[in-house]
Amino acid sequence: MDFPAELKYSKEHEWVRTEGDEAVIGITDFAQDALGDVVYVALVAIGTEVEVDGNCGEIESTKSVSELYAPVSGTVVAVNDALVSNPELLNTDPYGDGWIVRLRINSSVGTDALMDADQYRGFVEA
Amino acid sequence: MTELQKSPLDAAHRALDARMVEFGGWDMPIQYGGVLQEHRACREGAVVFDVSHLGTVRVTGDAAFEVLQQTFTNDLNRIAPGRAQYTHLLDPVDAHVVDDIIVWWVADNDFFVMPNASNTSRLTEALSGTGVVAQDITSSRVVLAVQGPNARKLLRMVGEDAATVGRFCVTSFMFSGVECVAAGTGYTGEDGVEIHAPVAVARNLWDAILEVGIQPAGLGARDTLRLEAGLPLHGHELGEGITPLQANLGWVVRFDKGSFRGSDALLAERDMGVARILRGIAIEGRQPARAGAQVFQSGLVVGEVTSGNFSVMLGHAIAIGFLKPSVEIGEEVSVDVRGNLLEGKVVALPFVAKH
Repeated sequence: MDFPAELKYSKEHEWVRTEGDEAVIGITDFAQDALGDVVYVALVAIGTEVEVDGNCGEIESTKSVSELYAPVSGTVVAVNDALVSNPELLNTDPYGDGWIVRLRINSSVGTDALMDADQYRGFVEA
Repeated sequence: MTELQKSPLDAAHRALDARMVEFGGWDMPIQYGGVLQEHRACREGAVVFDVSHLGTVRVTGDAAFEVLQQTFTNDLNRIAPGRAQYTHLLDPVDAHVVDDIIVWWVADNDFFVMPNASNTSRLTEALSGTGVVAQDITSSRVVLAVQGPNARKLLRMVGEDAATVGRFCVTSFMFSGVECVAAGTGYTGEDGVEIHAPVAVARNLWDAILEVGIQPAGLGARDTLRLEAGLPLHGHELGEGITPLQANLGWVVRFDKGSFRGSDALLAERDMGVARILRGIAIEGRQPARAGAQVFQSGLVVGEVTSGNFSVMLGHAIAIGFLKPSVEIGEEVSVDVRGNLLEGKVVALPFVAKH
């Protein structure tokens, strides 16, 4: 499984890519594999304020529904509209075209509490 | 927790990296690659499912025909040896569907009666003390369902007689010098053949089927396929509190053959009219409405979803569930999914017509 070194990871199996004061968020290769084929993604509205571990979307596979938890707190500045008609992008390109939401980070904590790729690999293989 | 039963093909599934799931007390493949791809392969090509978790009770003896006539809802006089029939086992008191069953009439006084995984003991109980020999032969065989528009063409290379068995017909054929039984039945809405083979040749048969280009598919795709085909699943659309008439399966019940287990209660319901009936709902958008979602019309609850998912072939969500009989096909309803009201329309089943 692929866990890019430049990303940070949460225990809820989201990845975070920091770009200046913004964070792009998606689900990991491990998460998409465990979910199975994604058939529906519910996105939050732009402008929504989310807290760490707060709801910032919903992902539904043929088998089950899962909530997306915010790995950092911030304000939603963009969502990936392509997922509305092509939710399978979460399976085919979880770190690229399958990104889900972009936040403006509004906490000094930022991504400090998250795991790096090696730690996350250890976490999912434990 | 009791240990899960394993298919005789368990090692073959693991060699293919199948993801396994508990189903009816069995450890079975839910998918090999992905549910959506396996679903499309069944609609457009050919797939094979290991459905060895179904039970087989072999019913023999001079009284076999008469006893099965009195035990099940359908009428065996409408078929003959060498034919298969879908039928129901009802509760004798309230006529709920204890199990839905396929009967393979293999030869005179020799029937393969195939219940759902977890219901085999309910069937043998229903047949005990009736004068027939009812032998649970589940562990002696595998059942493989080869389904899809190309299923027969490809299966020819494995067994000509199996590949050419008629729809709802049953025939024996030889594979590797061992007698197997094939029937033109299935649970996907596609044409296909189901094969009953002794454990001794199970792996060779499985490998031979894959060899000719039929791809394996798991219970995930089997569920999305049967939903598109509008076919009921025991525990969702059939079971405790649900009669065949409510499940819109009146054709499975033949009152004119004489009395059978549960017929009095079912006749009473027929005369009164059913309080609810199974309908299809085509939902706008992709969000699946799952079992338990309530269905509304003009602000009032008119029913509940029993199965729902995304339809691979239609590209939107579909659901089946029990609605008040006053809600007619073509009418608009909304379905409450965790507080989100999805717009839908009541439609005739199946959602996806047979190819």
